[in-house]
Amino acid sequence: MIGSLGRMWAIAVNTFREAIRNKVLYGIGVMALVLIVVAVAIGNMSLHEEARVARDVSVAGVSFFGMITAVYLGVSMLYNEMQKKTIHTILAKPIERHEFVLGKYVGMAITLTILTVLFALALIGQLKFQQAELTPAIVKAIVLSYCEVLVVAAVAVFFSSFSSPFLSGIFTVLIWLIGRWTDELSDAAARASIRAFRVICAVALRLVPDMHLFSLSGGELDGKHVSVHGSFVTWGYVAQSAAYAVTWIMVLLLLAALIFRRRDFV
Amino acid sequence: MAADDVITVENLSKEFVLGVRLKRVRAVVNASFTIKRGEIFGFVGPNGAGKTTTIRTLMGLIRPSSGRCTILGHPVPSRAARLQVGFLPEAPYFYDYLSARELLELCGRLFGMDPATRTRRANQLLAKVGLGEAADRPMRKYSKGMLQRAGLAQALINDPEVIVLDEPMSGLDPIGRKEVRDLISELAAAGKTVFFSTHILPDVEAICDRVAIISLGKVHDVGPVGTLLQARILGTDVVLDVPEERDHAALVPPGGKARRVGREVAFVLPPEVDVDAWLRSLEGVRVRQVSPRKESLEDLYVRVTHREGRA
Repeated sequence: MIGSLGRMWAIAVNTFREAIRNKVLYGIGVMALVLIVVAVAIGNMSLHEEARVARDVSVAGVSFFGMITAVYLGVSMLYNEMQKKTIHTILAKPIERHEFVLGKYVGMAITLTILTVLFALALIGQLKFQQAELTPAIVKAIVLSYCEVLVVAAVAVFFSSFSSPFLSGIFTVLIWLIGRWTDELSDAAARASIRAFRVICAVALRLVPDMHLFSLSGGELDGKHVSVHGSFVTWGYVAQSAAYAVTWIMVLLLLAALIFRRRDFV
Repeated sequence: MAADDVITVENLSKEFVLGVRLKRVRAVVNASFTIKRGEIFGFVGPNGAGKTTTIRTLMGLIRPSSGRCTILGHPVPSRAARLQVGFLPEAPYFYDYLSARELLELCGRLFGMDPATRTRRANQLLAKVGLGEAADRPMRKYSKGMLQRAGLAQALINDPEVIVLDEPMSGLDPIGRKEVRDLISELAAAGKTVFFSTHILPDVEAICDRVAIISLGKVHDVGPVGTLLQARILGTDVVLDVPEERDHAALVPPGGKARRVGREVAFVLPPEVDVDAWLRSLEGVRVRQVSPRKESLEDLYVRVTHREGRA
């Protein structure tokens, strides 16, 4: 067990190293920070709602750039190993294939954690600049957003275990969009007169993680309006959502490992 | 399986299913051979013969369609087998953002080596393959030869019993090739078993105890180079000093060929020619050299691959 963890950790550290030496990631990071600065400017254009607008734009930005990074890392990290054939050297060592997949994911998760912390720090700096309060609601929104990013990364790893980065990217974004629109999809299915559409929607809703759970600000929960500016979700809800995210991540990684186990590396 | 069998390959076959039309391609067909402890075993064949597929199957990277392999008695694929093996892939491409030292560090971790052993072993190997100076430079700045050296170093990080090298001399200059040959000989002298694929035949003749020739996925003629080569004379090369005013073409016996360079004419004679009688029949020429031509590994290689190509 300890040996297995050690091997996974070696892959994770190497994946993290690959990510932090990757210039594309710095580009995404810089764009996210620029957005936070732009959010202040947009906020200043509003009438007495500077902090509110800036907070909304920044929280959405953290979520969006986190998702972009997760998709980019998820679809490229595993595929690059196969395409560049670095995997031949690694899998010829005494490491099991599932350890390799999990190690890659842990390395991505470390990178995404550090990026989320950096985005969050930039957001806190922005709030300080605007003399606005860092409320627990904002922290909860960032934690939920972080959970969503980790699920998206697992979806991307799952698809990249058997398809090209381009297709994996498209599939992942598609899953994310469906996951975000679960409420709308349920409503559409309920109203639809075509039976096939209802069946497709029902299947999609069961097969796709409900990303809507992680992005509630401005929406409704149990019939109540929730917002980071007012009444938001409880910590209990955040914990439940995190458990939901962990379950999906485990299922997706298990499937990715099973597919990876059967692959030939020619 | 005998006690000194290190690698066994039994009736190994691999069929790939390619493309949307599900075209079936047989890369390896019923391959069988055994490699003994301490041997340097060459795996020879043209491009696309199935060498790399066999090696990757042995390393657990490809699942066989049928047949089985073992390494030191452990079934392939298994962690136990890989623990004892060092592997250099063909045309190795490593994480180019890492330095050679970081690569060795990573490989050492995967073998569960402790930090002190990893560092000591990495320093030893980097010095051994001549990368001491460049050890901390990112590998994206390495030449092909340097990458090959880094690859050899990572293959030896665990001080393996068995070393499997896929085309280790490919892309190297003559000095680089000699260094790899010397390293292989050194490993064998230290009791290691070395299995390597190549199509550079002089290297095989120089260092291999035994060879297997593979063509179109089938393994032929496994054994020591000397015993695989046909003992019969394939022909005779004769060099004569022939005055320039004389027409050398008139001297060529049936089935032979000749080429003049100044006064010297090189004759290539088929085995049917009675060389003694032919030489006695010539007048006004001087014999410079007579060499019976026996089968070389290259001839054997060509014979096997042509035979298989016609089949």
